[in-house]
Amino acid sequence: MHHLSLYLHFVKLRIRSQMEYRFSFVFDLFSQASIAVIDFFMIALLFNRFKELAGWRLWEVGFLYGMIGVCFAVAEMVGRGFDVFQNSVVRGDFDTILIRPLGTFFQVFSQDFLLRRVGRFSQAFVILLIANSQLTISWSFVKVGYLLVSLVSGTSFFIGLFVIGATSCFWTIQSIEIINIFTNGGVFMGSYPFSIYRRWFRHFFTFIVPLACVNYFPALFLMEKVVPSGVSTLGVYLAPFAGFLFLGITMLFWRWGVLHYQSTGH
Amino acid sequence: MRPLYLTFNVYFAFVRKSFQRRMQYRVANLAGLTTNFFFLLVHIFVYTAFYAASTEPQPLNLNEIITYFVLCQVSFMLMPFWGARSEVTQAIKDGSVALQLTKPVDFHAYWFADECGRACYFLLMRGCPTFLISILFFEVTIPQQFTVFMAFAASMVLAIFMSAAIMITIFSSAFWTLDTAGISGMSGSVIMLFSGMLVPIALWPEWLAHIAEWLPFAGLIDVPFSIYLGKTTGGAILTAIGKQMMWCIIFLGLGRFFLSRGFSRLVIQGG
Repeated sequence: MHHLSLYLHFVKLRIRSQMEYRFSFVFDLFSQASIAVIDFFMIALLFNRFKELAGWRLWEVGFLYGMIGVCFAVAEMVGRGFDVFQNSVVRGDFDTILIRPLGTFFQVFSQDFLLRRVGRFSQAFVILLIANSQLTISWSFVKVGYLLVSLVSGTSFFIGLFVIGATSCFWTIQSIEIINIFTNGGVFMGSYPFSIYRRWFRHFFTFIVPLACVNYFPALFLMEKVVPSGVSTLGVYLAPFAGFLFLGITMLFWRWGVLHYQSTGH
Repeated sequence: MRPLYLTFNVYFAFVRKSFQRRMQYRVANLAGLTTNFFFLLVHIFVYTAFYAASTEPQPLNLNEIITYFVLCQVSFMLMPFWGARSEVTQAIKDGSVALQLTKPVDFHAYWFADECGRACYFLLMRGCPTFLISILFFEVTIPQQFTVFMAFAASMVLAIFMSAAIMITIFSSAFWTLDTAGISGMSGSVIMLFSGMLVPIALWPEWLAHIAEWLPFAGLIDVPFSIYLGKTTGGAILTAIGKQMMWCIIFLGLGRFFLSRGFSRLVIQGG
């Protein structure tokens, strides 16, 4: 409980400081939103010409797009501390974190809160709502719960990626850029049904980096689409938990990484 | 007044320095190359699936689409999608831009040279490898006529100049807002859309393609690549290149105007 109230207090401080550059903040809010609109507009444009993609119609893809967009926006909002963690290592600020009487993971997690991602979030959320109104999904109590779990799991998945990027800084000082493939690239490829990808590609993004588990499989279940051959129904039910597992593993990686921290000095 | 060739030498030195500075980051470049390939691969997967389901003939066939996206990834880093570069806006924010003011050079020309050096670097270290490896893995079309290739080269150089001019125009907004993240993001997404980077303009519905025609940004991506693919031919090539030139000059003028206004209202923060 102490951690939670402390976290909320930190968030309040971060928001206040971001409000200092108000013009830029508002502008960025709109730019975030406009990027998302353009992004989806382009997908709609392709569907206007080609009608369908591997048996998926526009708003089914819109549902995928909305889900992954919401997860990524929230992850960027709350996981920002890990996203920009390399600055702390480059400047040697992590020393300060080590001597404070709180866990390192919690401190880095609460170091930043990027309020402006609300713009991106609301766009993705609106697209999710429109997709829902265009599709006839028979919502039940179980499905709503399953959707919520999937969204939290997807967010955990992206935070996990940020944690990996941050942890790598203990060795490489600067964050490894490769992680962008999985974050931004993950959003991009997660916006399309997984069945269009090659086998090795699908397997990699299911079993090693479990992107499909937090987005594609949950969408299959919610829209009651036919599960591709070779995928068990039980697997689809359990898929969203892969996101939590992934975050858990990255947290262990973080712990191990902290032990290898060598200060760059002041 | 110094002789013109001496002045040119100074700015050419800036181009070279800008290029050399970036040569330091070889590992980062390798990571960037991987990212380029990842996005290329996903694009190819998506379009292959779209084309597989469609029986109607399209303005570009699948091979041409693949070539188009290979070229997109080749020139991705040369384009002004990223908005203001952080080192420049940071210099304005923390006041170290004052040091640059003490140099006896024209700032617009200096930054233009810097952007050109950056473009050379990414063309050589990012673009060329991307293109060569793509030829090995995908079916990439290569223009058969020498004239087509020359026209493409000319158009591409203009695209790079225009990109540099746009970039300077964007980051000069930092003199007014200090934090350019918002403007960068917004302009970046609009430019990316209308350049044809996301979806080739040939595949757009007519009304939207018409809007793109009146905007400058197709000159960055769609115009040179359409020449490369042989979709723009004959006199249309000259018109297209002429239009690129016109927009180039407009953006250079705009950038100069903003910079001079910006410097005249500059307040150095801190010291």
